[in-house]
Amino acid sequence: MRADGIWRYATLLPAILFFALLTFLPLANLVALSFHEVEWNEATAVWNWVGAENFLALPADNLLRAGILNTVIFAVVAVALQMIIGFFLALWTTQVIRGRLFYRTIFILPILVPGIIIGAIWKLMYSYDFGVINSALGVFGIGPVDWLGNPNLALLSVIIVDVWHWTPFCFLLLLAGLESLPKDVFEAARVDGASDRQMLRYITLPLMLPTLIVTFVFRMILAFKVFDEIYLLTGGGPGTATEVISYTIYRRFFTEDQVGYGAAMSIAVIALIAVMILTATRATTRKADQS
Amino acid sequence: MHTRFLSMGALALATFGAYPATALAQTEEPITIVINQSPWLPGFQAVVELYEKTSGNTVDLDVNPFAGSLEKQRTAVRADASPFDLLIMNAGFFTEFYTGGFIKPLKEISDSFELSEDIYTFDDSVCWNADARTITCDGGELLAVPVNPNVLILHYRRDLYEEHGLEVPTTWEQLYENAKVLKTDSRYGISQRGQRGAFDVTYDVFPYIWSHGGGIVDQLEDGSFQISMNAPGTKAGMETYIRLANEVGHPSTAGQTQTNVIQNMATGRAAHINSVPAPGLFDDKNQSAVVGQVDYAPPPGTTEIPSVTPLGHWLAGIPRNTSPEKQKAALAFLTWFQTDEAQRAYAEAGSMPVSRAVLESEMADQEEYRWMKAMAEALPNSRLTFTFPEASQVLAITELRFNQAIGGELELSEALNTAADEIAVVLEGAGYSFVLPDPLP
Repeated sequence: MRADGIWRYATLLPAILFFALLTFLPLANLVALSFHEVEWNEATAVWNWVGAENFLALPADNLLRAGILNTVIFAVVAVALQMIIGFFLALWTTQVIRGRLFYRTIFILPILVPGIIIGAIWKLMYSYDFGVINSALGVFGIGPVDWLGNPNLALLSVIIVDVWHWTPFCFLLLLAGLESLPKDVFEAARVDGASDRQMLRYITLPLMLPTLIVTFVFRMILAFKVFDEIYLLTGGGPGTATEVISYTIYRRFFTEDQVGYGAAMSIAVIALIAVMILTATRATTRKADQS
Repeated sequence: MHTRFLSMGALALATFGAYPATALAQTEEPITIVINQSPWLPGFQAVVELYEKTSGNTVDLDVNPFAGSLEKQRTAVRADASPFDLLIMNAGFFTEFYTGGFIKPLKEISDSFELSEDIYTFDDSVCWNADARTITCDGGELLAVPVNPNVLILHYRRDLYEEHGLEVPTTWEQLYENAKVLKTDSRYGISQRGQRGAFDVTYDVFPYIWSHGGGIVDQLEDGSFQISMNAPGTKAGMETYIRLANEVGHPSTAGQTQTNVIQNMATGRAAHINSVPAPGLFDDKNQSAVVGQVDYAPPPGTTEIPSVTPLGHWLAGIPRNTSPEKQKAALAFLTWFQTDEAQRAYAEAGSMPVSRAVLESEMADQEEYRWMKAMAEALPNSRLTFTFPEASQVLAITELRFNQAIGGELELSEALNTAADEIAVVLEGAGYSFVLPDPLP
């Protein structure tokens, strides 16, 4: 029996080591880098120790501040809309008897389109001079609207694209959750005379809460890492209107080649996101336990 | 039988007929060139194909978005062995490759290599003096060969100018007046690039700020720097830019990319643009609604400082960390690229040659190449933009602050003062001595 246990761990060891190497080595390298400034001389990298200087410079970074604020707004608004729309689409699809497969396929289509194509499509649609949206509005005598160039509208325009892109993800997970709910509970409630609204409020939502939490956390993690839509649609502009954390790190680390500072920023952001996700998960799990 | 005979004949003909194409044995190792995607890429592709055809050598192109190309080049030269044998470096960033020691001096590959006298040196940006850490051919080594002479040129609608009896502007004020005349409900007087990018809005505001006596960071003769981002001349230049944008320009200037600006010209939506010429595009009826209607002139200036334009040229350098055979092959390509044949073919393919002899040749008199005269006239007044390796950090600042000023997110003086302070932090961090002027009121 004991030999079995040892054997079990021994066979797992290569996979654990492989995983550890892939995960911890790059992270350790990033941590080491964050305490250095790297210069290139005679085609050789020179690592200069700067202590906590890179971390201490972070609070004064105006792009990072704008990035954090925009990312929080982006993640909260986009994910909230995706959850609401995704949930009601899933609910509606479970009630469709004929053509359910057709609707399911249609609803998940946007998630199958590569990000680069989505960026190109929406950039054309949002174009001030030649976009189909402004052309359509023009028929009603509205506009043209500067969707991506107006600082007050640009973030909202990107959120709309993200909602279009990622609502199918929520739809898919929530549909799976809804389809796995026990049917007898609903039948019993129906026999007891419960209305649709009461069933939604007192049966569906409480039973779906674990699925809703998992979907929410998944989407929040992905939303905090948003990059491609910003890169393709606005480049973080106009000004800092659509600057997000991932894009700021990309700029500092790659474009500006400040690898030490970029590494410090990455570590700070990883820690920040971990704290936010843990807090959100703990709060929602407590709520689920209570209900 | 008859059919078989014919087939064999066709096979024999194909075999021997194809012989001349393969007769040019490959004399050099195959090379890979890393280059960015732009309106000038098709011309470069065409000239590479011509080289392959005439030399029998093989050249692969690794094409990337503008910022992606820079990152690939950095990664390549910092690796043990570069996957690229020729780097097409942009004027904004080449200094970091020189100072980092990543580029092989061309004479170390072949002592007999010379830069043709016909080829522009673009403010000596082809040379680097490692001891003095200065861009100069005086005591410096030849590190690169220019590939594209990118400078900003004024594009204007010739047909509209003739229709309204306008004269080609030499000052911003004249440009403003002309743009006002040509502006209609469906046409912008001018379309300007104002979006923030890697080297976008900053590049386009240079003619405005330089011609008003301003700048961003100027290197002084003793090697120290003068921050001029918040100089009165810079403010005056930006006021001119913003006045054009607000009164006769595109309503979304802060959101306009280079693609948007060129698109506005090609579709007839703009009467003027300042852009690096993409002449092949505007005269191609498949891509343009204004074929034969666009003409070119040096960018306007002021009565005190006439036209001045920023160098955004491309330089081809050979990395140190590629094999000697590949370096030799890359140099063979550069040697051929300097020839009159190659430079003419480059122009014929819709790109801009870097040869003075070609720019000032009889080609310039032909309607198709009418942009050459403007280019030849503008080049003597062109300037390098940044001469230090931290340019990418300064550009991140200027791109944001210029964009905020144009979009009205920050008041102009505040944007320039903030940027000047931020640039000072970068220069201080890099250990340079510099002068920061008093803030603008």
